[in-house]
Amino acid sequence: MTQEGRRIAWKLAERLLSTDDLRDVRSFAFQDMGYGYDPFGMERESAALTYVVFAFLHRHWFRVESRGIHNVPIEGPALLTPNHGGVLPIDGSMLAIDVFKRLDPPRVVRYIVDNFAAGFPFINTFLVRAGQVFGDRKNVEDLVRHGELVGLFPEGAKGTGKLFRERYRLRRFNVGFIEIALRQRVPIVPVSIVGSEEQAPMLANLAPLARLFGVPYFPVTPTFPHLGPLGLLPLPAKYHITYETPLRFYEEYPPAAADDPVIVRMLADKVQVRVQEMLDEARAQRESVFDVGSFGPGSPGGNGHGNLTHPA
Amino acid sequence: MATSRTPRETAAAGTTRPRTARGGSGGRGTDGQRGTGGAHRGHPKRNVLITGVSSTVGRHLAMHLAADPRVGFVLGTAPGPRPRFLAPLDPARFLYIPTDILRPRQVRDLFHRPEFTEHGIDTVVHLAFVSHPNLRGRKVHRLNVEGTKGLLDRCMESGRVRKFVFKSSDAVYKLDPTTPVYLDENADLNHDPLADQWIQDRVAAEMICRSRMDSQGMDVVILRFASIVGRNVGGQMNAYFDGRVVFRALGYDPLLNLVHMKDVIEAIRLAIVTDTGSGIFNIAGADTATVSTFAEMNGRRCIALPDPLLEFVNRAMRRVGLTDYYYSVDRDRMRYTCLLDTTRAREILGYQPTRTIEFAEYRGLEG
Repeated sequence: MTQEGRRIAWKLAERLLSTDDLRDVRSFAFQDMGYGYDPFGMERESAALTYVVFAFLHRHWFRVESRGIHNVPIEGPALLTPNHGGVLPIDGSMLAIDVFKRLDPPRVVRYIVDNFAAGFPFINTFLVRAGQVFGDRKNVEDLVRHGELVGLFPEGAKGTGKLFRERYRLRRFNVGFIEIALRQRVPIVPVSIVGSEEQAPMLANLAPLARLFGVPYFPVTPTFPHLGPLGLLPLPAKYHITYETPLRFYEEYPPAAADDPVIVRMLADKVQVRVQEMLDEARAQRESVFDVGSFGPGSPGGNGHGNLTHPA
Repeated sequence: MATSRTPRETAAAGTTRPRTARGGSGGRGTDGQRGTGGAHRGHPKRNVLITGVSSTVGRHLAMHLAADPRVGFVLGTAPGPRPRFLAPLDPARFLYIPTDILRPRQVRDLFHRPEFTEHGIDTVVHLAFVSHPNLRGRKVHRLNVEGTKGLLDRCMESGRVRKFVFKSSDAVYKLDPTTPVYLDENADLNHDPLADQWIQDRVAAEMICRSRMDSQGMDVVILRFASIVGRNVGGQMNAYFDGRVVFRALGYDPLLNLVHMKDVIEAIRLAIVTDTGSGIFNIAGADTATVSTFAEMNGRRCIALPDPLLEFVNRAMRRVGLTDYYYSVDRDRMRYTCLLDTTRAREILGYQPTRTIEFAEYRGLEG
């Protein structure tokens, strides 16, 4: 952004955010390299505006509830490994907003985004400025070295590409994150997100069309593609996020274990089983998918699980 | 001695490859003190040959080294008579010998000149390289690739040269959506057969340098610089920011690193005096920001255009002489971030960028 753009961004943020939120976006830890960008291209002003939009969705559209936020480390590197689903990767942004909002002091989750998105103008710039990083092993290693909180989907794009009848059945986890966790001694925080699969139930995947357009999958949902791009808007399913106790594999295994494919595979499966258990439990406790009663200004964020409610 | 080596540097140099014990490099008067004695605690001062001394980097390097008591004698070569700006240099510290790298005989003779042996030249800094999109063809290729090879061969043949420093650039890296934000020295190189000639030449010359890295007795060091910004330096980024109005690709605004001439000289100096063994080092500067931010700092209007239009506008502007910038060469650079991972340079060379670019000063100088 230009200097002028940054001034306008702050004016907008002042108008649209509550005092607490504004304080948070002004003060979150940010490693400025001298020109207002951090080493991975994040810009505080862009992050603030992104927060304005997605915090609104977080509160009013998906009414995100969460528990176990104390399991997310307030400093030092960590990997957040949630399940993935719902055609568009909105689950990642809701998780990031949730951590930023409910962790004290707030931390930005540096999300690892499929580098498929890097080839698109505007999307590329928007994601980078908002603090996201494109998927590459070196990027994850560098982020961890910088002590960042990294969010990644071990399922990869396989996760969002699954059909509705397979919802919340985890695809097999990739193993790269375990190698990094062992080599660089990083805790893994298992996370489950319930609600994402219902935001856009994928009834079919038109693989030939996906190949034609060069995208990972081509979804057919109740609203897409016959309603056009509007059909990609997510349904207001209520989100439930759970954070579990960090797994510190590096305490049991030496860094050299990262070179053993058997151990790495076994640990990845362990994380997968943990996340699957969390998912099953959270789904069993869920009373209603959309929870229509929790809409409206009166009850932000709902009830029940002893979550931290959003500061007014 | 100027080079006090930390244990870490010594260890790093040791792990690079097994090295022969290195003694004095002959010193001033070929007193033959070569041997194992006094190999550590820094060797006698390095005596340096600079090719392409008439280039801007060459001129700065020659002037800096000739004034630096930590370096011994400096020999500069370029084709043609001595450039005027080298005249004020102390003749006891600097000598200019006209040499055309394109002529193997002249290069051979250079290594047999009495001045060469007398002053005990033991380090070669190879700067003679054409890297302008407009200069291409057989002759340029011969200079860039065969010139580098010939020079390397002569260095090894002479048996006196202990270190060969090749100045390269980050243009050798391949860029696409899947490349990481920070490229380390092992990142993929641009082997695109359609890449601009000077990029292909650079990659080829680097390959030749790398093939000699295991040779006994001579270390080969490649320095890959980020975009050097400064007056008369040439290079794409200077041409880019020189325009009154700069154009960038719509929807993209990658991070860019600019390195100051002072830091470039310091990095080359460190490569000369530090006992590193053979290796490649990324050298980045202190300034990292986006294209549009640099344009704004530089007082330029930055206009975003979609790709095909940008190509057209750039060509038209070049035609009428408004810019010297080639967008087609930098298409990927204008979209995807290319920053250098300088861990190796920091840990082994001890290089740390110190100079930020004073944009106002830079603007004032260009007129």
